[in-house]
Amino acid sequence: MGRFSFAAFFRRLSSIFRSRGEVKIGLYGPVNSGKTTLANKICLDWMGEEMGKASVIPHETRTIQMKEKVTIKARNKSLKFNLVDTPGIATRIDYEDFLKHGLSRKAAKQRAREATKGIIEAIKWLDDMDMVLVVVDATKDPLTQVNLTILGNLDARGIPFLIVANKMDLGDHHVRKVQDAFHSYKTVGVSALAGSNMDHLYQAVVEAL
Amino acid sequence: MIKIKFLTYESVKQDSKRVFRALQADSIVLIDAKLTPGEEADLIKDTMERLDEKFSGIELSSLDPVDATGLARLRGALAEALTGKKRGFTIIGPASLVRKIKKNPQELLVYM
Repeated sequence: MGRFSFAAFFRRLSSIFRSRGEVKIGLYGPVNSGKTTLANKICLDWMGEEMGKASVIPHETRTIQMKEKVTIKARNKSLKFNLVDTPGIATRIDYEDFLKHGLSRKAAKQRAREATKGIIEAIKWLDDMDMVLVVVDATKDPLTQVNLTILGNLDARGIPFLIVANKMDLGDHHVRKVQDAFHSYKTVGVSALAGSNMDHLYQAVVEAL
Repeated sequence: MIKIKFLTYESVKQDSKRVFRALQADSIVLIDAKLTPGEEADLIKDTMERLDEKFSGIELSSLDPVDATGLARLRGALAEALTGKKRGFTIIGPASLVRKIKKNPQELLVYM
């Protein structure tokens, strides 16, 4: 994010002409990294209500979800934005994986079809974002192609972003490993489920925009 | 039997369907350049559009010469600017064949 790029320059220029109410912050990341849990936590903290349903079954979020006019405050600054929760990005979807979670064959195929459309939509929406929180599962290897593709695209398009290393409530998390893997970028460790370190995240978001 | 198809970046750029023809014929594809982030995103989008009961997706990864410093780095950047081709290589495998590709900055390990 520290490097100069023309894409970043023109994006910043266009954001100056955009009204603050239209700022969009997107949650992107691989499947089951906790994007919807984080969206729910942010909405609960600042609006008193959740945004969507989270599930252990992969691809629970299969359409773009948006919560309008979320206002967060940190360090005497406030930021008003529309929060966009996106379907998890994946390079493979096998409907048979859903059968293991107890879905019927018909429901599994339907879920797979919807998940593929969701991924395409999520990628298309990327250019509309003013900032992105890249939510990664801190208990897993961070150097996955999905993470690298998302970060590479944000960097190339000049979209400001933060990496959110989620699930630090779990004993086997490696927030440090995420920070080391992406040392050029800012990483904030949180537990969206337990609500740990959210103040640090809000502060980083307010400072980044 | 494992089939590996080597494709030049230029040929893929001219006709991206070549990659999917190979993948859907159960071949692993090796391209002589690192795809740009935009090309990777397009590849994921195109993959999603092609999914069906027989083709459940891809595994992909790439390596680039991140360790180059000083003059070597400058020479590489200049070559990329002149050719429009990013140094390194990309490996793409059908999900039915390749379970995962583990990457550390300097090597890839393909699990089948």
